[in-house]
Amino acid sequence: MRLPPFQYLEPTNVEEALSMIAVHKEAVKIMAGGTDLLNRMKLRLIKPTFVMNIGKLRNMDGIDSGDTETVIGANTRLKDIAGAPLINKKFRAIAEAASRVASPTITNMATVGGNILQNTRCMYYDQSRMVLNGLERCHKRGGTVCLAVKGSQRCFSVYQGDMAPVLTAFDARCILERKGSTRTVSIRELFTNNGVTPFAIGADELLTKIIIPKPEGIYGSAYRKLRLRGSVDYPLASAAAFVSVTNNRKVTTCRVVIGASGAAPKVIDVASCETDLEEIAQKAYECAEGVDNLQMPGAYRRKMVSVLTKRAIKAAINGIKEGM
Amino acid sequence: MNEMKKTVITLNVNNETYELVAYPNRTLLEVLRDDLHLTGTKESCGEGVCGSCTVLVDGTPVRSCLTLAVAVQGKEITTIEGLRVGEKLHPVQEAFVNHHAIQCGFCSPGMILTSYALLKEDPRPTEAAIRRALSGNICRCTGYAKIVEAVKSLAEEGK
Amino acid sequence: MEKFAYIGKDMKRIDTTCKATGEAVFSADLTLPRMLVGKVLRSPHAHARIVAINPAKAEKLYGVKAVVTAKDTCGDKWGVFKYTQDQQFLPTEKVRYVGEEVAAVAAVDEDSALEALSLIEVTYEVLPAVYTIEDALAPGAPQLHDVYPNNINVHIVIDVGDVEKGFTDSYLVREDTFTAPEDSYFQGEPYAVTAQFDHAGNLEIWMPNAGPHLKAKPLSNVLKIPLNKVRVRKITIGGSFGGRSEISPADVICAFLAKKAQRPVKIVYSREENTVCTRQAHSMITKIKTGVDKEGRVVARDITCHMDGGAYSSTGPIATSVPFLCMEQAYRMENVRYNGYRVLTNKPIRGMFRTHGRGFACGVDIQLDRIGETMGIDPLTMRLRNARQTGDTTPTKSYVASCGLTETIEKTGKMSRWAEKFGKLPPYHGIGIGCNSVQTGFPMGIRGGSQAFIKLNEDGGVTVITGIVDNGQGNDHMIVQIAAEELGLTPDDVQLITADTEVTPSDPGSYSMCETFVGGNAVRLAAQDVKKKLFKIAATELGVGEEELSARNRKIFVTNNPQQTMSIAKAVRIALSRNESISGEGSYWPNVDGKREWVKNPFGQLSETFSFGTVICEVKVDPETGQVEVLTVTASQDVGYALNPKVIEGQFEGGVAMGGQGGMLTEYLQWHEGRVLTPTQLGYLVPLAIDMPKINTIIVETIDPNGPYGAKEAGMSVAMSAAQAYCGAISNAVGVYFHEYPITPDKILKAIEEKKKRAG
Repeated sequence: MRLPPFQYLEPTNVEEALSMIAVHKEAVKIMAGGTDLLNRMKLRLIKPTFVMNIGKLRNMDGIDSGDTETVIGANTRLKDIAGAPLINKKFRAIAEAASRVASPTITNMATVGGNILQNTRCMYYDQSRMVLNGLERCHKRGGTVCLAVKGSQRCFSVYQGDMAPVLTAFDARCILERKGSTRTVSIRELFTNNGVTPFAIGADELLTKIIIPKPEGIYGSAYRKLRLRGSVDYPLASAAAFVSVTNNRKVTTCRVVIGASGAAPKVIDVASCETDLEEIAQKAYECAEGVDNLQMPGAYRRKMVSVLTKRAIKAAINGIKEGM
Repeated sequence: MNEMKKTVITLNVNNETYELVAYPNRTLLEVLRDDLHLTGTKESCGEGVCGSCTVLVDGTPVRSCLTLAVAVQGKEITTIEGLRVGEKLHPVQEAFVNHHAIQCGFCSPGMILTSYALLKEDPRPTEAAIRRALSGNICRCTGYAKIVEAVKSLAEEGK
Repeated sequence: MEKFAYIGKDMKRIDTTCKATGEAVFSADLTLPRMLVGKVLRSPHAHARIVAINPAKAEKLYGVKAVVTAKDTCGDKWGVFKYTQDQQFLPTEKVRYVGEEVAAVAAVDEDSALEALSLIEVTYEVLPAVYTIEDALAPGAPQLHDVYPNNINVHIVIDVGDVEKGFTDSYLVREDTFTAPEDSYFQGEPYAVTAQFDHAGNLEIWMPNAGPHLKAKPLSNVLKIPLNKVRVRKITIGGSFGGRSEISPADVICAFLAKKAQRPVKIVYSREENTVCTRQAHSMITKIKTGVDKEGRVVARDITCHMDGGAYSSTGPIATSVPFLCMEQAYRMENVRYNGYRVLTNKPIRGMFRTHGRGFACGVDIQLDRIGETMGIDPLTMRLRNARQTGDTTPTKSYVASCGLTETIEKTGKMSRWAEKFGKLPPYHGIGIGCNSVQTGFPMGIRGGSQAFIKLNEDGGVTVITGIVDNGQGNDHMIVQIAAEELGLTPDDVQLITADTEVTPSDPGSYSMCETFVGGNAVRLAAQDVKKKLFKIAATELGVGEEELSARNRKIFVTNNPQQTMSIAKAVRIALSRNESISGEGSYWPNVDGKREWVKNPFGQLSETFSFGTVICEVKVDPETGQVEVLTVTASQDVGYALNPKVIEGQFEGGVAMGGQGGMLTEYLQWHEGRVLTPTQLGYLVPLAIDMPKINTIIVETIDPNGPYGAKEAGMSVAMSAAQAYCGAISNAVGVYFHEYPITPDKILKAIEEKKKRAG
């Protein structure tokens, strides 16, 4: 499949990259691993004037562990995150998610930054011209209809990234740099929950680092993902859980983040940590959005979100027990 | 092509250096097949799912259909053609042939390179590890049974 | 001395080394001097009148060397059968599915070709379209073709015995409906065609195919050049599975472009084009009514099947018949009625797929399971009681010369420990069985036979020339095995020229699974012809009778006194020194009823022989998610004789993956009206290495009286029985019988929830 024409930019350092996007703004699309961007270009869903390869930027990859926080460069390959002993020991859900993205070879190429910033997806959007020509333009394509949900005034495309839910469960923050300034936001603030424009990032901003604060006390985490096969596929439903306890095994924090449940990962507010598993699962079900625009029917996927929520929490708790 | 400019790119493929002129929107897969006539690497999906386009870049399996040729200058690229030494097959290739792990052969180059990379990283993988490592290489003919046997036979020998 | 040197041995295939090195050349790998890139413009509408096509702007684009539209063709309609001639390769009047070919360009590079496509102006008058069988059959529905009223493309009627009386006499009668949407081939290799004309107007063309001779004739017709000017060349082929048998518009379009541009042209399909614009499998609604006696033996059966054939006939009459025929071969029934309808819709064209209708096959077997449950007879026993036997004649009057179905059932049952497991497994753990049968060679008129030539060199080496085609299953190797065995040579001594219509004689192709039986027999006969001539020479030289001789390891020797020997090379040189040319010829035509016709006369010997298979599958279901973990599969088939056991195992394993793992768990096309939403491997889920269970294989040999060394078809019935076994196992695990396929987790979960509700 042929890529559309574009001009190629290959900055050698972050400053150069920031200058380029400051000048060209929306005309630039950023390529890290290439596994999301190039596919959408081949389908002609986007035809950027410039493609900027940030894969070679130094200081943007690697895992740096400190006393109060762990910093992961946005260009760190998912395979390296999945295999890092530190991540497996201290942030198990993050390792689980990274190892389950797509297939092993894709994790050799894909970066955590790219995975976080992947576009939302929908069976009526991620198609070639052969399908889309002759169909009305949907909201995500700049039109006024939704092909998945007849009559809908808004877009129902789904955020299927694996990394964002687990990073959210760990309360991660993201560093966004632009020429001349930097801002740090909670990873939650990256998402607009709008399928048409899923991210609150300026066209002149670059995600450079992800910061994971050191969790307090004794804790466990887990990520559970539903797909029909054991590899390759995007999640049809997912849940990340972070649970921390006191020395007396009293739950102090229970953070659940569901994925593939709408245009952004959703944090399930757990009223108190005494809440029982069924109630949390029910809450997850209610928060989850599920329409018939992915492989499996929406109703099934919503049910699976609640099943995975329970499984993720149980696994997180088991992780704590194993550690004790 | 409008504003696209061709540039000279230098690629190191199978220990040989190639200098060619290419537009930036050419994938490594296209350059290997159309410019260098190394047609062993195949396109079966074009979107990084099937694994037929797998090549090694600095020893790591990647999807050449999702790799820009211009972005891998300076790297060591290995295609299926680079595996054998002279007339002798590489042990991975030999095992695939001996164990009937090849039927139509379209997925074989990608499958063999991925297996090769697995065994380099883990000389004695379990069956589960083999199946996982090959989970991104689609075969429509064999049901994978004899492919797994071929790789297992090498795992036992620690090759 | 062992009976055979090569036959029956696990030899490594002759064609796999070059595939392991990447040297094997597939159609898209070809480069010819000054070759152009071809691209096809396709209809964006499911049903529309073509008002005007204006290629002027495209023709003027720099780099474009040819543009073809219907104007460049004669507009003749083609069909597999004379009575199904309904497809123009570039339509003149209307388009009938999204993706249908409308025009094509050849340009110096891909970007120019793509740009040229966008410059071809086509004006359409959109017509109402139909996308489902129900809509297509509804009164007043838009008609796709004037020649097929009510959009019924084919109606097969078979009525044997007295079905109504049979039902009256039955102890128990059941009626069920089964449905399955389209499955899709997803061959590893996407379709590609390379074509060029030489200075003398001879066409050379390469494409993945299941029979080059089946491609050559339609090309000859369309291009209006004689067959001897059409050379469909040998090429490595990346799988077929039934989807590459007939001429494709791409073949014709590529030839026209090459002719117009006077340069070679290559068209390479994207994965999406391969899924949408070649062939797909039929979706089906199958209604089955079966009556059994007190022992669970089928007394009468009435089946109505509606198949969605897409926009054109393709192999319609065959595709509509085969699901029924497989069933009537596998199981005994005296009274049976079949109404098979192939219905046209504004969807891509459907052909014959390896599993030949999972809905149909699974329906037959699941119904046997359900009947058995009511009567207290377990599924395996139900199969045994109804199994076809050697010497039977099928309802449509095919004599079954060899049948090992019972043996496959018993052996599979034993290896899978059926008796210990059925009904005794823990909750959500199930085991299921499936049985089926497949034809080996059916009537193909003047193209039903195969002929082989053998050329000898003075050093004793040979070249075998045959039209047999290899889609990846190992047919080339089979030729070498047979020739080397019969001639007494080693595999290295046997070179091949195959599947090249300039040189090789006509052969039916791997259509109807007949390459081993028909093609292999022809090769064997040609080799025996050579051997006879060589033995005549050797007999004189050694002073013995011809019947006393054997050949092995490049030598001819007296069987009971191996010291008395001479080399084959010497025998060849002796002939040549006497000014006697020496070569071999053999041909084989399957003994089928030439008067049998799919629609008009569906009776008589269908194939010379049939294969039979059984699969048993064991699964575990996760009751919270409905996901299925397949634990073990045991696959068995009566293959007559295993020419190369490892090759046959590979066919079984692949069949389990396609028919069972994929066909029952995850494979189906999803649609938005006439548009395929899952055209690539991302949306259409074929099995991965990580999902496949352990597969045990059992080869059963009944030594068919007519197959080469007793061999017949191998592998296809396993694909079908695997689908049935998976279906039975999941149904057993959940305690609910599934009638809608594939059995995806949402369906399983729903069944579990509903079952719980019913239990109260």
